[in-house]
Amino acid sequence: MPTITIFKQDLEGLLTGPGEARQLLTMEQLEESLMLVKGELKGQNPDTGELRIELQDSNRPDLWCCEGIARQIRLKRQGSHVKYNFLTTPRKPAKRLDVAPGLEGVRPYIAACTATGYRVTQEGLTQLIQTQEKLAEMFGRKRRTVSIGLYRLAAIEFPVAYDLVKPDEATFTPLGMDTVMTLGEMLLVHPKGLEFGGILAGQNRLPYLRDAKNQALSFPPIINSREVGEVLVGDDAFFVEVTGTDLSMVVLTLNIFAANLADRGAVIEPIEVRYPYKTALGKAVITPQDLGKSQKLPVSTIEQALGQELDAHDVAKALTAYGYQVTTSGKGLRVMPPFYRQDLMHAMDIVEDVAISRGYSDFLPVMPSQFTVGGLSRIEEFSDRIRALMVGMGFQEIISNILGSPQDLRDAMRLEGTEWGKLVEVDNVMSQNFSALRQWMLPSLLRIETASNRAFYPHRLFEAGEVARPDPTQSVGSRTVTLLGGMIAHADAHFSEAHSCLDTLFYYVNQAYSLEPIQHPSFLDGRVGGIVSGGIQVGVIGELHPEVLERWQIGVPAVAFEIDLTELAERA
Amino acid sequence: MDISSLIDSLHPLEVKVLSTFGSKPSAVLRTEQLSQSTGLEPSQLSMAIEWLLAKSLLAVDTETVTPNVSLTKIGELYFEKYSPIERVLSAARDAAKTGKRLTIQDIQSREGLEPEDVSGAIGRLKKEGALLIIQGGCVEATGRPSQTAEAMRGLLQQLRGAQRDLQAFPKAQQQVIQDHSVKRGNAREPFRIDDRVTRSFKLSVAGIEAAQQLSRQGTAAEVSQLTPELLKDGSWRTKRFRKYTISLRAPRIAPGKRHPYREFLDTVKTKLVSMGFQEMRGSLVETEFWNMDALFMPQFHPARDIHDVYFVKEPTHASSIEEPFLSRVAQAHQRGGETGSTGWNYLFNAERACRLVLRSQGTAVSAHTLAAQPDVPGKYFSIARCFRYDQVDATHATDFFQIEGIVLGEDINFRTLLGLLNLFAREVAQAKEVKFLPAYFPFTEPSVELHVRHPKLGWMELGGAGLLRSEVTIPLGVSVPVIAWGLGLDRMAMVALGIHDIRELFTDNLDLIRSTRGAS
Repeated sequence: MPTITIFKQDLEGLLTGPGEARQLLTMEQLEESLMLVKGELKGQNPDTGELRIELQDSNRPDLWCCEGIARQIRLKRQGSHVKYNFLTTPRKPAKRLDVAPGLEGVRPYIAACTATGYRVTQEGLTQLIQTQEKLAEMFGRKRRTVSIGLYRLAAIEFPVAYDLVKPDEATFTPLGMDTVMTLGEMLLVHPKGLEFGGILAGQNRLPYLRDAKNQALSFPPIINSREVGEVLVGDDAFFVEVTGTDLSMVVLTLNIFAANLADRGAVIEPIEVRYPYKTALGKAVITPQDLGKSQKLPVSTIEQALGQELDAHDVAKALTAYGYQVTTSGKGLRVMPPFYRQDLMHAMDIVEDVAISRGYSDFLPVMPSQFTVGGLSRIEEFSDRIRALMVGMGFQEIISNILGSPQDLRDAMRLEGTEWGKLVEVDNVMSQNFSALRQWMLPSLLRIETASNRAFYPHRLFEAGEVARPDPTQSVGSRTVTLLGGMIAHADAHFSEAHSCLDTLFYYVNQAYSLEPIQHPSFLDGRVGGIVSGGIQVGVIGELHPEVLERWQIGVPAVAFEIDLTELAERA
Repeated sequence: MDISSLIDSLHPLEVKVLSTFGSKPSAVLRTEQLSQSTGLEPSQLSMAIEWLLAKSLLAVDTETVTPNVSLTKIGELYFEKYSPIERVLSAARDAAKTGKRLTIQDIQSREGLEPEDVSGAIGRLKKEGALLIIQGGCVEATGRPSQTAEAMRGLLQQLRGAQRDLQAFPKAQQQVIQDHSVKRGNAREPFRIDDRVTRSFKLSVAGIEAAQQLSRQGTAAEVSQLTPELLKDGSWRTKRFRKYTISLRAPRIAPGKRHPYREFLDTVKTKLVSMGFQEMRGSLVETEFWNMDALFMPQFHPARDIHDVYFVKEPTHASSIEEPFLSRVAQAHQRGGETGSTGWNYLFNAERACRLVLRSQGTAVSAHTLAAQPDVPGKYFSIARCFRYDQVDATHATDFFQIEGIVLGEDINFRTLLGLLNLFAREVAQAKEVKFLPAYFPFTEPSVELHVRHPKLGWMELGGAGLLRSEVTIPLGVSVPVIAWGLGLDRMAMVALGIHDIRELFTDNLDLIRSTRGAS
């Protein structure tokens, strides 16, 4: 989830209106306030006022910025929502943006507005750019669904056109470069083109934003023009646009930007976007726009979920102080979420906001009172019994990673190309060391043995744990099985030593078994047996093959056995 | 210490020396005599003598220092090849016989002698009048004898392979030895004089008593080990059992033992069972459906990225997902279905739901339980191995245990959720102070983070929990409220086990595993 860097003095300034005195926060107040936004302070620099905050809620992109955090805290402190006049402007917007036909198959949606009267400071600009990046990266899925452009308004002549052009049809100097190039060239050479070009893969015409004078603004979602698409400290008039593939996300993103700029003192002027094709909001869409729908909610739903009787008035107060518009009638509520949020999918989302607004400490914990019987699974109980027996026979328990390497699990065991060597392997390998699930237990025991030639002998090791065995009859292609692996290593380690232990185990779990000679490449021929019980092979026992020991760089003989506990537990 | 416990503490070597005096306690015995009568090696004898002296059982009667002469390596060489003085004199005499002139250089080159040896010899011979130096640096034998040269041969012969008391030699020879013995800064000499200390010993009063006691005890044979034979024939009655030095360090053994981390997990498991939780088990390989879709994580969720989850290579997809769960979950994602939700509003991909992954969260186990008609009221837990696509370091493991579960019941709500977390804080972390913070999980609403003041660690996050979203429970066939919870106990385990690196929970160091005491 996003971690952002903000400055305490900037946050404090935003807690009051533009031009008003800052409202100072102590660090305790700050940490307390961060509960309102599910934020965690990850770091701070008291000298510069820098704060690093992680925002947990991946559905609240409005909170991934200093303005959003300040807004939520300010609401709580003032107890009511802030009016944003641009949402209720009655007259038709003076500025217009025209969408070209064909974009519905490329990058269909755009939302835009202007912001004037806020002279951007260094701090403000840093925040604007951070918000732009975080929203496009995490909410916009690396610009795929949403990307944002900021421009100097003064140079732009309306109406602006959101066009679709051939790769060599439009040229401009992109940000970060000195030469004029075509859109096609930008995809090939510009760092952003290389990074995000995949979004437009397979398109023979590309999105292109220009103004009424045919002046290039940008190549969405790749890069802005250097001339009008570079905002500098001291600018006080901006054009903001958001393009993308999901209309409501595009509008929401613009809403968040509009709210942020308004909070900093800018006057927002909506723009009318005209589509040649139908959208969910019609062919002419004024943005920013409040897409929220009010919903009815009985207080009882909230009471039931929270386990506490509540007054409709108290609920309304809590929700209002969290940004909602609320009307009450008796025990019923009608709530309208703020226009910069779209995360309310279910009544429970509103319930949580009531709890957060009131503060979790406001709710007295109650013990769940209903009686239930506890217990372990059959396999765990069985495995615990076996573990106790192994400990009693002088074995040291070990515990290992289940993820290992095919080299250790298969090759070093001489199992290449055998049935025993089949593995559940990882497709997106990060490290060879963690690229397959263990299919048996012995490599885990050998891993310890390899590292422990200085630990005094004898070594008697065991592990009871899960492995994954490929099995085409299973829907997921493998079975998770609990195995016991035991190993004895010392200068005189001998088959019969392991056999005695095995015999003892079977005696105490009251099951019959026999050993049948088998061929197994990991063991010395003639000194290996299949453990057969109830007519099926449930394990293997033998002296490890010297070549296996050599590959593991083990300098003493080792005998080992392995039993399928899942199988035995089912019969026990 | 009384005399009998003193005797018990004696080493066998000491007993041997004391016993030598046994029959004549007032005797004065020299080292050689003791060596002879005890039959001990010189080093053993001298150890025993030193110990007895330290215990004041033995005392030194006399101590004499005698100068003792022996040959050096050079001396042995001179015996073989004659000393420089002999060789110079003999060369000069040969020259005199033949009438040849003999220069000092001639002697040096002919005899292969060091210049300083030649000049030393010539000086001595000249002083004794056996040699003259004439004009032109030539030497000439006078025919007179040299005392030194004559004495040298005899001395080299007598001292070869033997040591002699210096005083046993006549005065004149003593002088020769003194003049030709190794002194500081002059290593090239044939003789060495060492001071030899000879001591004689007698028993102290306590020593006499001890020796007498020992001779009385001598009748009962000492044994070191009680044997079945001794018990059988009752002969243990006439034996003395050697007493052990029980303050010695005990020999090390390696016991059979549970792994300390597993022991910690066993404790947690027992606690949960005691609180009424039933254990659940699941599969290491899961479908994206049970691992994520069923938990209402949209298929476009960033945590479902290729960089967060391990995908299975072969087969890549499960053959199918159980109905009606697949359709119901798909509807919940798309438009909310029967859950009262708006849904995520995207096209659910059933193919994607079948994609196989390594289980990345224990909650997948709970999802299966929800779909399998769980008990209501019911409490469930799992300690599930999970896998994350993470770089491994001191705080991140790619393969780890998650402790999680669910609680179902008509009485479940936000406050009973907090009550359950309180219980966990008290029972699992022994914490009396707790803090509840708003949190975010895709599958719960409201969501809580549990922070506790741990007795050793101070404030720490112990776990996360929440009420499962209807979008999760209803498609799986559960209509009562459900708590989903997870505990992060690795930090507590690491403190209990005294380690600082999460990788050490699965260490391959057997010495460390054997020596870790474990959680208490």
